[in-house]
Amino acid sequence: MTAVRILLLAAGLAGGLYGAWLLWQFPLEIIVRIAVWAGAGVVLHDFVFAPLCAAFGFAGRRIIRGRWWTPVTVAALCTAVLGLLAIPVYARPGARPDNLTVLDRNYPLGLWVSIAIVWACVPICYLIARLLPVGQNEVVEQQRSDDVERQPPAS
Amino acid sequence: MKTSPLRGTAVTARVGMALGIAIAICFITGLISHFIQHPQPWFYWPTRPVWLYRVTQGLHVISGIAAIPLIVVKLWSVWPKLFERPIIGGITKQLERASILVLVASMFFQLTTGLLNIAQWYAFEFFFTTSHYAMSWVAIGAVLVHIAVKLPVIRRALGEPLEGDVAMGGAVGPSRRTVLWSTGLAVGLATVVTAGQTVPWFRKLSLLAPRSGEGPQGIPVNRSALAAGVIRRAQSADYRLTVTNGPTTKAFTVAELAALPQATHELPIACVEGWSASAEWSGVVLADLIATVGAGPDSDVRMISLEPPGPYSRTTLPARHAGDSQTLIALKLNGEVLELDHGYPCRLIAPTRPGVLQTKWLARIEVIPA
Repeated sequence: MTAVRILLLAAGLAGGLYGAWLLWQFPLEIIVRIAVWAGAGVVLHDFVFAPLCAAFGFAGRRIIRGRWWTPVTVAALCTAVLGLLAIPVYARPGARPDNLTVLDRNYPLGLWVSIAIVWACVPICYLIARLLPVGQNEVVEQQRSDDVERQPPAS
Repeated sequence: MKTSPLRGTAVTARVGMALGIAIAICFITGLISHFIQHPQPWFYWPTRPVWLYRVTQGLHVISGIAAIPLIVVKLWSVWPKLFERPIIGGITKQLERASILVLVASMFFQLTTGLLNIAQWYAFEFFFTTSHYAMSWVAIGAVLVHIAVKLPVIRRALGEPLEGDVAMGGAVGPSRRTVLWSTGLAVGLATVVTAGQTVPWFRKLSLLAPRSGEGPQGIPVNRSALAAGVIRRAQSADYRLTVTNGPTTKAFTVAELAALPQATHELPIACVEGWSASAEWSGVVLADLIATVGAGPDSDVRMISLEPPGPYSRTTLPARHAGDSQTLIALKLNGEVLELDHGYPCRLIAPTRPGVLQTKWLARIEVIPA
């Protein structure tokens, strides 16, 4: 494994340095813009997007109980992904009057319809989870090791 | 706040593996597209199957979009580590943190600029292609370094059962398995709502794709005749297509081109931006046309547009493609005379080439001496 790790490390460093050298060819002003764009993404994720997700999770867990929670979190993930994908198309910022074949859909409608479909699946999943018998494995898997069933009453 | 027991190496390693595969596909297909546009002597790009570039570039954009939910979940699974104490730590920890910063920043750069570029939203004030290419090397380098550093952790995590025995708290709730299949679901959803711009079956479902796949004569347009500034010259009665081979020169009117033997082929037009569509193109086989000025099949051919000089107003078609029997100087698209936006009076259409190199509004074809 050590050999593989050294090989990966060497290849990675070589690739990364080549990329850095390519970036170095840009004028300083452009390098700064590229760095700001990349850095802004990290800051936005780590200190805005991720804390918001954690806060929603923390609050949601206290409001939404039992079998509702799983489908709600899955729907939330799908909503976040749809929202991210919609950013460059929603208000059609790249649209130009001379070319009607770019950004030629009704994106607000598309986004809200797809989000509605995602959330419509939540009660369906809830019902399926309720109606299906819960397997013994699932019960055991979700118990702590200190979950001990009550002793039969001493006779 | 207690960290969710779902976050953790078991999920990170598995989602990371899927993300690694997506990044590898994206990087390789991106390199292919780069080397087609910047040919190197060692780079071989075949002319068959004719849909090859359609598939590689479609995959480039699809795998890039698939990486978005994967990276969201992967970062979610490790986010608490950001605040792990000691924040500063030793030199090793600092190096590891720095490498992860480079990794996340470069991946963020690649995915956001790519996503904006396919929607033609140039919100960034740097040139897309060169910066996206340079940063792709930084990103792939950072990925490899990251795998090298984490390999023992990855192996351990994949060797252990997915669900920790005591780690799970509470009553019935999401398990790590649930996290994995819902990530898969999110990837599937992201693909379906965008991939229709290149996969016809998804066309109706791709509600967030930058292109519906519709356009004049059934094909979308990337650069309009108006944007290229060619409307007057393309429609002029004085229009001639000049074909040259050294001192030999011939000029053809549109009627003369139409009077030459015509061929019809079903060929895809596949844009670097990830959309593609198949169509029936008719016109003169390029090899036959350059044969009229005495050129053999071994020469590269330069295509020059009516468009004023710009990055794509002149392109070079390698001999392999120039000599191919399906490479056409197209006059018709889906049975109709080419629309102005599709390159009237005539355009190049060759198999396995990016749309940006299928030069429209041809003014001049020059055989480059071999």
